[in-house]
Amino acid sequence: MISLLLLNGGVGSRFEAGGPKQFVTINGVPILVYALKAADAVASITQIVLNFPNGHEETVRNVVRDYAISTPITYVPAGATRQESGAALLAAATNDLVVIHESARPLVQSRDFETLIASEHANVGFMHEIPFTVAPVDPATHRVTGSLERSRLRNVQLPQKFAAADLRRGYEYAQGADLVYTEDATMCADAGAEVFFIEGSEYNIKVTTPGDMNIASLIVSGRAGGNE
Amino acid sequence: MSKVAVVTGASKGIGRAVSERLLSPELKVTTLVVIARQSAEFSQTIVDLREAAGDRVAVIDYALDVGDREETIAVIHDMYARVKRVDILVNNAGYTNPVAIQQVDFADFERTIAVNVYAPFTFVQELLHLGNRFKVIVNIASTAGINGRAGWLTYSASKAALINMSEVMRDELKVDGTRVICLSPGRTATDLRRILAPDEDPTTIMQPEHVAEVIGTMIGPVGRFIDQQNVVVRQ
Repeated sequence: MISLLLLNGGVGSRFEAGGPKQFVTINGVPILVYALKAADAVASITQIVLNFPNGHEETVRNVVRDYAISTPITYVPAGATRQESGAALLAAATNDLVVIHESARPLVQSRDFETLIASEHANVGFMHEIPFTVAPVDPATHRVTGSLERSRLRNVQLPQKFAAADLRRGYEYAQGADLVYTEDATMCADAGAEVFFIEGSEYNIKVTTPGDMNIASLIVSGRAGGNE
Repeated sequence: MSKVAVVTGASKGIGRAVSERLLSPELKVTTLVVIARQSAEFSQTIVDLREAAGDRVAVIDYALDVGDREETIAVIHDMYARVKRVDILVNNAGYTNPVAIQQVDFADFERTIAVNVYAPFTFVQELLHLGNRFKVIVNIASTAGINGRAGWLTYSASKAALINMSEVMRDELKVDGTRVICLSPGRTATDLRRILAPDEDPTTIMQPEHVAEVIGTMIGPVGRFIDQQNVVVRQ
């Protein structure tokens, strides 16, 4: 049995339309609903741990009620950072295996969760090839400091699955070393856990700007009748 | 695998013809729920549908005026507890009392909107709140909702609302993979048409079975390849 940790506490500072980004709508539907519905249709997800931005618990609860999400939900306040939020979600998880996702990735499908859950690896997430070249630089001096091999780099996506114990050690490691990670796969790998990746999809975009919202809306529209 | 279809306004006309069409084996319906106001015609329709369904399809009936929102909600809850899911919903029940602007009785306008707009909305919203994921929703509008017709203010306005409501439903319910079909029949030989055009010879215009045939196609596997933006059916 799996607990889904659903990060939903971001405030979306890059959105021009005010308010937390998880209440931004895609085709009129709050963005949070897409991940909730996809998870709701997966039988082995028996708990959803969901956080909410400060002052928005009732709004989140109303969305869950209005869209008739049937998986039991544990509500947790968002932390000050992504890492704190992740640790707080994990602390409320009741299963030994967890899947972590974020509501800003509304294009996740039930089968994505199922693929991770079915993986032989305890710690595994979706990662996608990078279609462009990245360079290591010193931002202060604008100096290019070397090169990176594109084929050995991946764009880190969500969802990811972890053994709860490994993820907990990852957060402890980061806190102990005073490191701040923006996602958990590399954190757990740094902490010494074996972490694997499954090829992700270019459609699993993270919606952070109004432009992304338009793209997500187009992708959702193209999926009429095909979403499970 | 069970498949449940619900038809409102099922006693006669397009509603009855669609109910009959939903019994055909290729649509794989296992339970058909028919809803209409109490009448001798409805009783006869239920008998006929049960006979046609045999052991293959369970036919459940509810006597209900969908213009009564409280009653409608109660029936929806009772029905959902029994059938556990609604795959296909055909919002067909319609009402009209065509009169000129000066003669519109406001209570009658409200009834038109209650039956033609609020009822389809209520069926969809209540079932969503109960956790239902529709496969197909069919809203029966009218060509009178595309262009207003003199003398039909209340009816034209209500059907225009239904056409636009269907577009919103189509977008918002993509999250469930639901297909929302809005069908606008032109002149069809129904009792409602007789109210709208009392002097017309009903044998010269489209029959409810023709409309039902189109609805059957739209609901069936071929339907997903047809543009669902307000489908007009006319002779």
